[in-house]
Amino acid sequence: MFVYEKKLQYPVKIATPNPKLASFIISQYGGPDGELGASLRYLSQRFSMPYPELKGLLTDIGTEELGHLEMIGAIVHQLTRNLTDQQVREGGFAPYFVDHTTGVYPAAAAGFPFNAASIAVKGDVICDLTEDLAAEQKARVTYDNILRMCDDPDVTNVIRFLREREIVHFQRFGEALRLAKEKMDQKNVYFTNPAFDK
Amino acid sequence: MYSDKTSPRQETACSDANGTMPSCAPLAVPYVPFQQYGAKKYSQADALNNGTLFPGLNLPFKAKETGRNVVDSALSELQALEFVVAELNLYLDTHSDDAEAFQLFKQYSAMEAEAKKKYEEANGPLTLSAAAAGDKYSWLTASWPWNYPEGGAK
Repeated sequence: MFVYEKKLQYPVKIATPNPKLASFIISQYGGPDGELGASLRYLSQRFSMPYPELKGLLTDIGTEELGHLEMIGAIVHQLTRNLTDQQVREGGFAPYFVDHTTGVYPAAAAGFPFNAASIAVKGDVICDLTEDLAAEQKARVTYDNILRMCDDPDVTNVIRFLREREIVHFQRFGEALRLAKEKMDQKNVYFTNPAFDK
Repeated sequence: MYSDKTSPRQETACSDANGTMPSCAPLAVPYVPFQQYGAKKYSQADALNNGTLFPGLNLPFKAKETGRNVVDSALSELQALEFVVAELNLYLDTHSDDAEAFQLFKQYSAMEAEAKKKYEEANGPLTLSAAAAGDKYSWLTASWPWNYPEGGAK
């Protein structure tokens, strides 16, 4: 189960609202490589994992990603608080506003709603961990791209933190894959799928 | 016969930004080097500021803005301690027999628990169990983490 702690993992303190930034940062809330997908991917993959290191790592990174989801929600909320009618019309925020006002809704920057088709749970140890390595890279690039387009240091500071977490997670998933391989057939790791074959 | 038994506790230590690889590796699987034991570590404040406890894993993007110090309040000091615990948690998941890292994990967990208790006494509950320890129901009155005043805090 989960127990809520009434604090963020890292401070989000944005002084100046800016709906234009919110209109694309929302992608890390509910877009194809966002934090909602990340947490669902890891917290779902862990059930079929045969080894304690993998159950543990997927649980712990999945839980951290839920904290990142909350941070992105806080960014979007603070960027869209107290907007004037004029601000609502500016910077491409209007299409989001017309459907969600300034509520935080899991959608991609291009507008389509969260879709589980952008994550995978294959039920195979090597396949799922390889998916996780790719997922961390895709999230890292999304944060790179947000950093290219964002000039407010209140925002970039938080994005830099979240981006660095993707790199650390990539490292851990890579190590987890090595640990998993040690327990598999040393001559042919594809001989069986230890998540299914007994 | 080849084995992928690659203990990160190797004799010839690589530099801090490098890890260990098998000398011969089977084809057709991805390889990420193991982070070595005894990797350099930041202070808790620098860890939170950089998004990692480990200088060897700190690989920033060419963004114009460099990291700034965010550890400037009782809450962010608690966040820094909690962050080191979380980072060591992930490290230990893949390095479970690193005794030194485990000692550090115990140390920081104790510091975090102590700091959280102090923070909650001064600022209100972060958890329901702390809310249950008060004289009245204070869960709703303590500030919500996503709220921050426009224009910055006074």
